[in-house]
Amino acid sequence: MTEPLSPIATLRRELDAGTTSSRKLVEGALARAGRLESLGAFVGLRAEAALAEAEQADARRGRGELRSPLDGIPLAIKDNLVQAGEPTTCASRILAGFVSPYDATAVARLREAGAVVLGRTNLDEFAMGSSTENSAHGPTRNPWDAERAPGGSSGGSAAAVAAGIVPAAVGSDTGGSIRQPAAFCGVVGMKPTYGRVSRYGLVAFASSLDQVGPFARTAEDCALLLETLAGHDPRDSTSLPESVPRYREALTGDVSGLVIGLPREYFVEEGVDPEVLAVVRQAVAELERAGAKTREVSLPHTRHAIATYYLIAPAEASSNLARYDGVRYGHRASGAESLGAMYRRTRSEGFGAEVKRRILLGTYVLSAGYYEAYYRKAMQVRTLLRRDFEEAFRGCDVLLTPTAPEVAFRLGEKAADPLRMYLSDVYTVSANLAGVPGVSLPGGFAHGMPVGLQLLGRALDEATLLRVADAYQRRTDWHECRPPEPA
Amino acid sequence: MARITREEVERIADLARLTLTPDEAERMTGELERILEYVASLEALDTEGVEPTSHASPMRTPLREDRVEPGLDPDRALANAPERDGHAFVVPKVIAEDEA
Amino acid sequence: MSSHPHPDYEVVIGLEVHVQLRTESKLFCRCAVRYGDDPNHHACPVCLALPGALPVLNGRAVELGVRAALATHCSVHPRSVFARKNYFYPDLPKGYQISQFEEPLATEGWLELELDEDGGTTKRVGLTRIHMEEDAGKSIHDTAIAGHEGSHVDLNRAGVPLLEIVSEPALRSPEEAGAYLRSLRQLLRYVDVSDADMEKGHFRCDANLSLRPHGETTLGTRTELKNLNSFRFVEGALHAEIVRQAALLDAGERIVQATMLYDPAANRTRVMRTKENADDYRYFPDPDLVPLQIEVEAVEGARAQLPELPEDRRRRFRETYGLSAYDARLLTESRALADFFETAAREHANPKTVANWVLRDVLQALKERDAALEGARLSPEALAALLRLVDEGKVTAANARPLVPELLERGGDPLALVRERGLEAVSDTGLLESAVDEIIAANPEMVERFKAGEEKILNFLMGQVMKRTRGKADPGAVRRILARRLED
Repeated sequence: MTEPLSPIATLRRELDAGTTSSRKLVEGALARAGRLESLGAFVGLRAEAALAEAEQADARRGRGELRSPLDGIPLAIKDNLVQAGEPTTCASRILAGFVSPYDATAVARLREAGAVVLGRTNLDEFAMGSSTENSAHGPTRNPWDAERAPGGSSGGSAAAVAAGIVPAAVGSDTGGSIRQPAAFCGVVGMKPTYGRVSRYGLVAFASSLDQVGPFARTAEDCALLLETLAGHDPRDSTSLPESVPRYREALTGDVSGLVIGLPREYFVEEGVDPEVLAVVRQAVAELERAGAKTREVSLPHTRHAIATYYLIAPAEASSNLARYDGVRYGHRASGAESLGAMYRRTRSEGFGAEVKRRILLGTYVLSAGYYEAYYRKAMQVRTLLRRDFEEAFRGCDVLLTPTAPEVAFRLGEKAADPLRMYLSDVYTVSANLAGVPGVSLPGGFAHGMPVGLQLLGRALDEATLLRVADAYQRRTDWHECRPPEPA
Repeated sequence: MARITREEVERIADLARLTLTPDEAERMTGELERILEYVASLEALDTEGVEPTSHASPMRTPLREDRVEPGLDPDRALANAPERDGHAFVVPKVIAEDEA
Repeated sequence: MSSHPHPDYEVVIGLEVHVQLRTESKLFCRCAVRYGDDPNHHACPVCLALPGALPVLNGRAVELGVRAALATHCSVHPRSVFARKNYFYPDLPKGYQISQFEEPLATEGWLELELDEDGGTTKRVGLTRIHMEEDAGKSIHDTAIAGHEGSHVDLNRAGVPLLEIVSEPALRSPEEAGAYLRSLRQLLRYVDVSDADMEKGHFRCDANLSLRPHGETTLGTRTELKNLNSFRFVEGALHAEIVRQAALLDAGERIVQATMLYDPAANRTRVMRTKENADDYRYFPDPDLVPLQIEVEAVEGARAQLPELPEDRRRRFRETYGLSAYDARLLTESRALADFFETAAREHANPKTVANWVLRDVLQALKERDAALEGARLSPEALAALLRLVDEGKVTAANARPLVPELLERGGDPLALVRERGLEAVSDTGLLESAVDEIIAANPEMVERFKAGEEKILNFLMGQVMKRTRGKADPGAVRRILARRLED
């Protein structure tokens, strides 16, 4: 019972045929999670609750009352989405012991659809990181090579799907935190348009950039998850009111006539692994063979994206993380004599080094005398980055780029050099700054590790991204490659 | 853009209610200095007259109806409290320097 | 309420008033706005600042904010931005307050003050800005309540909608500051923006004060006085601060920019903290709330729905109904009262009479019962009807007066009540003539004195007739008959 789980579409056929049950799927997933515990993908499993929910799903199936195609399917949730009655740690000591009294909208929607939340996955503390090493629970390992990072911050969700513990998972992406780990682990990961999925109940890192999205093995499963996750939520003032298309219906396999833009700035040799670029170029050729047209476009402000991102995201984070003060929930330092001492000790003990670094950076750029030079300037450059995309999409339907400039790096390789770690987000942050959707899908291998292709689309045009990703997966089998089973 | 000094790092740590050990303060100063040097590349960019973007989506703020819904039951609201007295959160005493 | 200028210095005061908006639910969540309940009984993930919770703006609060802005002649901005004001305090659960900073709801208006009781002197005080923000919760530091070394935190008030209304430094005495606050409170109540109940913290004031030599045009260094929560307190604190600053300036010392605390027992102010350790609030636009957009049509719609403002109504009451400034001001104290008066006045020939009855009898009866006009059963039409009965001689004024409290409590038709009480004025000429004859016959001496020229004897005789008829006689008819008989 520790076989890797197939994609949801396959599981559904098996469930419909009666050759398996939700309970068996959940049992299998739990067993596999146990066997692969050393991956560090999960920080908490809901074994009993998940089994009980699977039985309920089986009963619904028996009565012909299935709620959705996700009914009875085990999924994993990044541990920064709250679920009523369950702990949420954000991989931080500061949330030790916190149990949420309410559901995140994304979690509630999955549960209403009948999906079974198997457990919570590891992440960089408060989603701040690109390696899932900055976690109070210890690092997550890459299923393809245990000495390498799975990427981050949603490394636990990516690893859980790549290792076949669950067929799909949910993560969050603030500067690439879904797409980069998806690339590093060889799975599909999508960051929808900003506002497409409710942020209510997603523990905020950088509110104007954060977006919840799915991981799966196939574009088809991503489409299915997104249909459930997306949609207007009156509890989130930044939630978009537009109705949700049936993304699966867009998966025609046909990309003929579609114009794929290749942003010049993403294909410069400098700073990118040539083998990664070679994989991306092969994928471009494959899509051309499928009938797509390609053309070079320019996103001229790309080289300012990382600087812009590392001003805006820490600024918002410094404010978002002020609520962790030891007053109402989470960790409180013991024995403090005064309120001020309690605050300082609680926060100094509770936050890890990377979180402190970003709080300090964010506090600095918002503080008197620096706001104009740093924060306001960054918001202006953000406008220029947005215009870059608007301009580029006048001449093409989607953009295709590498997801990351390299394959998964070794654990600890960049831990001592924050700036170098930040630069690994170079291809992903622009989409968050501009609010446009992006998906990363397996495009091949370099150095024996998966390489991700990134597709970026117009705001609210997830359907086209999924169509291209699906068409590519119909013509290739990279997504069917599995990491080696550990001994 | 000025580079950051150790004193400034300590001042912002204080604003953020963080206490840094001398080692941490030293290391953070160096790291922040490098990061700030990197982001200083934006200086060169001419943004005269460019509207700042604070939100990715060009939308208007939704307004909700003024209708009351019950909040959390007070026992649930207080369930995570590190220290409580009845239905009040309890914090250590406020001394003069804590006053906002 | 006249101001007494300081002999040596011109006093410069600006006020920041925090007004609680009259909404059912909080500014960014659906928790009830309720005063006086047990701690943390109106708290949800949003106002507890649980991880992941997000704010959604209360539309009614925006409506009331716009209304207040229009009532104070401010320009409402088509776009305003909510910003985060970052600081740590246990009653501020998110570690920031959602407020407005660079782009407030409205700017540049004015408030009209009446500086004396007869309304002869008015002053327009400029308003710098009006913005919306959320209230903080409550920290209770009193060890008697907290019971130990710690403080209690109650978040029932956290997130309650407030307007901050900032005046220009245009007030020139503590008394003017008091008049400003009274006018502002009255106006906000009048347009239904706030209950403005100071005891419940609905109306809170901070003041900035500086002095400069008379004739000087640049402003002196100012100090800030926080949490002045009653009118007496405001004026007392400002007077005390004037004394303190004047003494410093007299001694040739400099004023240090500081936040002051007023000790009412000692009637003096002392420095709470100086500007050197001022906070750095790190304001930035709240990414959880996109900019608030208010269409011109919505503003114009709100303007069209705005009632006639008290200052305009006072003016009109004086001009249309010939009322004194004093009466006009009292009658416009609340919108309900002004409406009551005006409806009654339209139904009656003499508005001054109506004003007298409203201000004396109606208000007194309400006061005695600690009741509000809104809940009273006396309609303005009924009051007018009662006064018409007096005019028509069907009941005497003296007998009508005690009916007002009854009508307030019971309502009903005044004429029916007059009849029920047997208070119908006697206007039957035969009856009155015989009563007059009896009184003349019984008081021959008085009749002689009257005929000898003592005219006031007529009043005595009238009184006797009224007494004989137990007050029900129509005084006009009695006077006519008496005069005729006495001429004979």
